Amino acid sequence: MINLPKVKESKLEGIFITDGKFATKNLILGEKVYGEQFVKEENIEYRVWDFYRSKPAAALKKGLKIFPLKLGMKILYLGIASGTTASHFSDIIGSGGIIYGVDVAERVLRDLVRVAEKRGNIVPILADARKPEEYASSVEKVDLVYEDVASDDQIPIMIRNCEKFLKEGGYAMIAIKSQSIDVTKPPKEVYKQALAELEKHFEILDKVELDPYEKHHLFVVMKFK
Amino acid sequence: MRAYIVTTLVGVFAIDENKKIVEFSAFSRNPKEVAEKLKRSEIEILPEEKEIAGRLGRKKIFVIFSNRKEGVKHAEPGNEFENYVRENLRKLAIQKGLIKDDAEYNKFLTQANLELTKVKIKKAVGADHLVIHAINSIDELDKSINILVERLREWYGLHFPEMDKIISNHEKFAALVGKFGTREKMDEEELKQFSEQSMGIDIEDEDVKVIQDIANQILQLYKLREKISTYIEKSLKKIAPNFSELAGSQLAAKLIAKSGGLDRLARMPSSTIQLLGAEKALFRFLHGHGKSPRHGLIFSHPLIQNAPDSERGKIARTLAAKLSIAAKLDFYNGEYKAPQMKKELEERVKEILSSKK
Ligand SMILES: C[S@@+](CC[C@H](N)C(=O)[O-])C[C@H]1O[C@@H](n2cnc3c(N)ncnc32)[C@H](O)[C@@H]1O
Repeated sequence: MINLPKVKESKLEGIFITDGKFATKNLILGEKVYGEQFVKEENIEYRVWDFYRSKPAAALKKGLKIFPLKLGMKILYLGIASGTTASHFSDIIGSGGIIYGVDVAERVLRDLVRVAEKRGNIVPILADARKPEEYASSVEKVDLVYEDVASDDQIPIMIRNCEKFLKEGGYAMIAIKSQSIDVTKPPKEVYKQALAELEKHFEILDKVELDPYEKHHLFVVMKFK
Repeated sequence: MRAYIVTTLVGVFAIDENKKIVEFSAFSRNPKEVAEKLKRSEIEILPEEKEIAGRLGRKKIFVIFSNRKEGVKHAEPGNEFENYVRENLRKLAIQKGLIKDDAEYNKFLTQANLELTKVKIKKAVGADHLVIHAINSIDELDKSINILVERLREWYGLHFPEMDKIISNHEKFAALVGKFGTREKMDEEELKQFSEQSMGIDIEDEDVKVIQDIANQILQLYKLREKISTYIEKSLKKIAPNFSELAGSQLAAKLIAKSGGLDRLARMPSSTIQLLGAEKALFRFLHGHGKSPRHGLIFSHPLIQNAPDSERGKIARTLAAKLSIAAKLDFYNGEYKAPQMKKELEERVKEILSSKK
């Protein structure tokens, strides 16, 4: 009998497929971040990327084609929380890359500090993403900005941070939560407005809705004009 | 010639208008020490900064800092020279031989920022206890104000007894007495006719002066109360955005105080939150006296206040359930869901009220 490989490469850099799920190569052997599953093959340890817990994984599951993360990339992550998603980004960019992780809530940052201490490529920053001046002294120009903050001003927050920190022609990804922007309007309408606003500054490369993994979310990948 | 002083995690730079680094003083490579320095440099001039400013001064170069702080004369935050240094810091650090390569830079960057964040987290923990003192001080101010106002009304009532009924608002009462003094001077339409035929005794200037002092002190206390309220509202937005949005900041602060902290509140079942502040009634009930209480502090919430008595218990339960979720969200997760939760809550209350008919 032939032993089929359990893990195979996807078309995207640093992302693998195992049993219909996505996975990333664990940067820190033996360390789990949020109770995720391990898969081992040929002495390599992979962490399964839960699409119910992480929006980019849900977006990939829903057929997102363009996902610009690369080895060695510098990322600014707004709303990093305790690092569930960031840990997979950290796997993909490797120890030569760096993630500047901003969050306002000190409770979640306390958990992130523990993750960051082990991984070495995450810089935790306790700050409000509405006030980029406050962390300008810690952050350099980055290749990609990712935002997942779920607040009504998530679009202006994105634009302001990209203007300050994103390299020309750099990438931006955002998880737009329609309920946070306007509960009274149907999601489609909220997305349309948000996209119109984003298109003034970005070229939209790809987008997918995250239902049923995350309700009322649109995941958008863009390039900075 | 001018130069800008820019403080970074590798040390202090001075850069001139041609974007040339003219002075530099390196920090140690100990992440803890660097975090400490960066934190301090936000509020005061560091010895390294002072030294560089001195050297530039001797060369007749005009010194500009990139942040305002104690002792700094000229500052231009966010200027293009500062940005230049920050954007090229990695390169500069490697050029100066402070750091070997990108990997080493990343390591140092992460460690220093970890220390910085830890310092900040330490400071942020316990912010709920600051709010607890603030809301308790409001209670005490209210009591003090009440006692003093009662005294003021009686005291001034000897001179102008009619005013007590006409001006029922305490703050206005104190403001009028403080401003005008004797009843003859009261420049207020609604009082004029009464002051002319008042049954009160006549008093001397020095008698009224001391009453005015009391009145002015009361006004000061009102101002202080206002300031503390604003402070509470602002702090709660930071530490409990969901909870305070749903409860309103006064009630939110009282519930946090009663429970002993956001952490405890987050761990409480919603039935306990519903009855926070009704401990006495609950105690009486458990000992066989009186009715079982339906709500504690949350009774003051507008959704309960505006409901008919028969539905208040049900609404209190619904409200407490939402508040409990909000407290957990603020404590454990941090995601801001208040607008959505508020909408759900209001809809549920509408249902309760309409099913009654
Ligand atoms: C949905 S969670 C993020 C989950 C995370 N991205 C993940 O997938 O692992 C949203 C986070 O945004 C943070 N947040 C909300 N408003 C913020 C702001 N103005 N600045 C920075 N962070 C904010 C919250 O504290 C919360 O941790």
